[in-house]
Amino acid sequence: MITSMIHKLQTVFSSIRLTIFLFLSLAATSVLGTIVQQGLPMERYKAFYSPGVFSALKFFNIFDMYHSWWFTTLLVLLSINIIVCTFKQIPRIIRLIFPEKKGVDDTIFRSAQIRKTFQSQQKLSDLERQSETLIKALVGNPAKTVKDDATYFFAEKGRYSRLGMPFVHISILLVLVGGLLGTMLGFNGQMNIVEGGKSDTVTLFGGKGLQKLGFDIRCDDFTVEFYKTGMPKEYKTDLTILDNEKEVASGIMRVNHPFLYKGLKFCQATYGIAGGSGFLIGARNSKTGEETVLRPNLMKKVPLPDGNAFFAVARFVTDLGGRGPAVLGVLLEPGKEHDIFWIFRDGRNNNQQQKGGFVFTLKDFSRLYYTGIQVSKDPGVFLVWIGFCLIMVGFILNLFFTHKRVWVRITGEKGTYECSIAASASKNRGPFEEKLEQLFRKITVE
Amino acid sequence: MNDTLLISIVTFIYFFAAFAFLVSIIFHKRSVGKGALILIVAGVTLQTSAIIIRWVHSYHLGIGHAPLSNFYESLVFFSWSIIFVYLIMRKRYRNDLFGILSSFFAFLILAYVSLSGDLNCTIQPLIPALQSNWLISHVISSFLAYACFAISFGTSILYLLKIKVKVTMLPDALFLDEVTYQMISIGFILLTLGIMTGAAWADRAWGRYWGWDPKETWSLITWLIYGAFLHAHLARGWRGVKMSLVAIIGFIAVIFTYLGVNYVLAGLHSYL
Repeated sequence: MITSMIHKLQTVFSSIRLTIFLFLSLAATSVLGTIVQQGLPMERYKAFYSPGVFSALKFFNIFDMYHSWWFTTLLVLLSINIIVCTFKQIPRIIRLIFPEKKGVDDTIFRSAQIRKTFQSQQKLSDLERQSETLIKALVGNPAKTVKDDATYFFAEKGRYSRLGMPFVHISILLVLVGGLLGTMLGFNGQMNIVEGGKSDTVTLFGGKGLQKLGFDIRCDDFTVEFYKTGMPKEYKTDLTILDNEKEVASGIMRVNHPFLYKGLKFCQATYGIAGGSGFLIGARNSKTGEETVLRPNLMKKVPLPDGNAFFAVARFVTDLGGRGPAVLGVLLEPGKEHDIFWIFRDGRNNNQQQKGGFVFTLKDFSRLYYTGIQVSKDPGVFLVWIGFCLIMVGFILNLFFTHKRVWVRITGEKGTYECSIAASASKNRGPFEEKLEQLFRKITVE
Repeated sequence: MNDTLLISIVTFIYFFAAFAFLVSIIFHKRSVGKGALILIVAGVTLQTSAIIIRWVHSYHLGIGHAPLSNFYESLVFFSWSIIFVYLIMRKRYRNDLFGILSSFFAFLILAYVSLSGDLNCTIQPLIPALQSNWLISHVISSFLAYACFAISFGTSILYLLKIKVKVTMLPDALFLDEVTYQMISIGFILLTLGIMTGAAWADRAWGRYWGWDPKETWSLITWLIYGAFLHAHLARGWRGVKMSLVAIIGFIAVIFTYLGVNYVLAGLHSYL
């Protein structure tokens, strides 16, 4: 009972029909995840779909379908399928690659893919020489065996090409295992750090919460270069790793050139303007019209010309009410309350900017950037790379090499020798057979 | 010389090559077929020069990079890949029909390039994400794969015409079936390579080799369809109409991987 069940399971899992079914099911269901955007916050889906559709999609975990139970099940079934099929093939492949020291086997002359026979009245030595030439031309130097009045020749080439497909299949398993390890033990998320700032917390993708790193990352500097068109050309971040406030590592992270630390990968993903740091503020004397340029940094006061008043920038916003960048200016006059007011780039018709006998305008500011870092940890990634390399090795073995074998048997007596040829090729049989045919004709005509 | 002008000339050359192959098949004129081959070689030489000129020109502009970085450049390279695959495989098949398919597809793509008004053919600087050593190997392996799949798509359509519509002029159905299979098996290996180089690149750029981004997912869908095709062909011995349909569906997936993702779905890969 149990053995028959096992047998049945074995039959199911060793079937290529199952492989084809799983491939096509994975393909068909994967389409869904490219139509329904993955990993958004639930509220977004709730707002988009009707309640019925929403709960149906949620039930089948369509919002994160590539990690759902049923998609994982398909992948597990595929893995079992690969394992069972590979194990089933292994004995045959071992036999092909490491043939038992034979023992000439006469059955091959009845069962091989390609078989030829002819009678000859030639001398045995001539026949042998011709057979050797034929085998040499097809695959390589043959080995000669004599047994019971019969002479045998055999040669083969490219038997390791048989390893190609098992290599590919086992490597695909490696990639799947690597992927599984990565999903279970790794994480992937983003952190934004303002220049000069530091952080130890990663916001994980797909609404999976926060991840503490156990150390701080400080953004020492962020620089971005632009093309003439205004497109970014290159951006990079100077990073320092702080462990308990102690600097333990530092480096540069550029796009396509991640920074690595303790098995974590920090990739330069995005950037943005977090604010302004240094400012150029024009202060025009309302009476004389004379303009002075002030250079305050954020929260640092500078003296105003001719007088004992001071000016400072308290806040910066990249866009205030659609009117562009603005700073919150503070006027400090002795014996008076602080005067606080917004200053825009454009000073015209703005009484607000007229304070203490000066008209203030925001002339320029140096941007304070934040750097967007994608942080990832993936302990399975090395298995994936090994898998990738082996897949290619397998494909190359399989594509560029063919296992070719040729057997020749000469039997009979002087004057009536019978010469039998058997041959096989693991692929591209057409050209191989054609070549054999040509050589065969040459012998028989002679 | 302006590379876009050269491409316009190449478009015509491929058209005449396809036409000459057609004449050669219909009227059994082998000499015309030879002329078509000469046209193709001339066309691909010009096209290669155009690509190189563009490459050199980008360095003169101070934004040097391989011309594989936007939709226009990818289409030009796609048509080049089809002709390249044709020239490599030509000896093996010795059939003018293979020539028609390749030159006609290459012509169609370039004609689209020339006629579509909204295609930006100026040399643009490379955004930081595309500045990677993986760009060239990733794009070349992917587009050579697409080219093989395009040819297999053509032979499957012809197979259906031969079997279902009984167009007698076409070559033997077995031959068409065999070409479809061989093109798919080579394309499959190249697609695998394309996905792997893409994964290695994604790992450098975003810290993960696979993120189920729509383009990634669609490349996997394509891979799975052709994988199913190969298993059915090799292990189950399936042939014929059913397999032609799988090959056609596979190519639809290729087109969707290449274009649909950019026009229909949003994702990280929307450079081209």
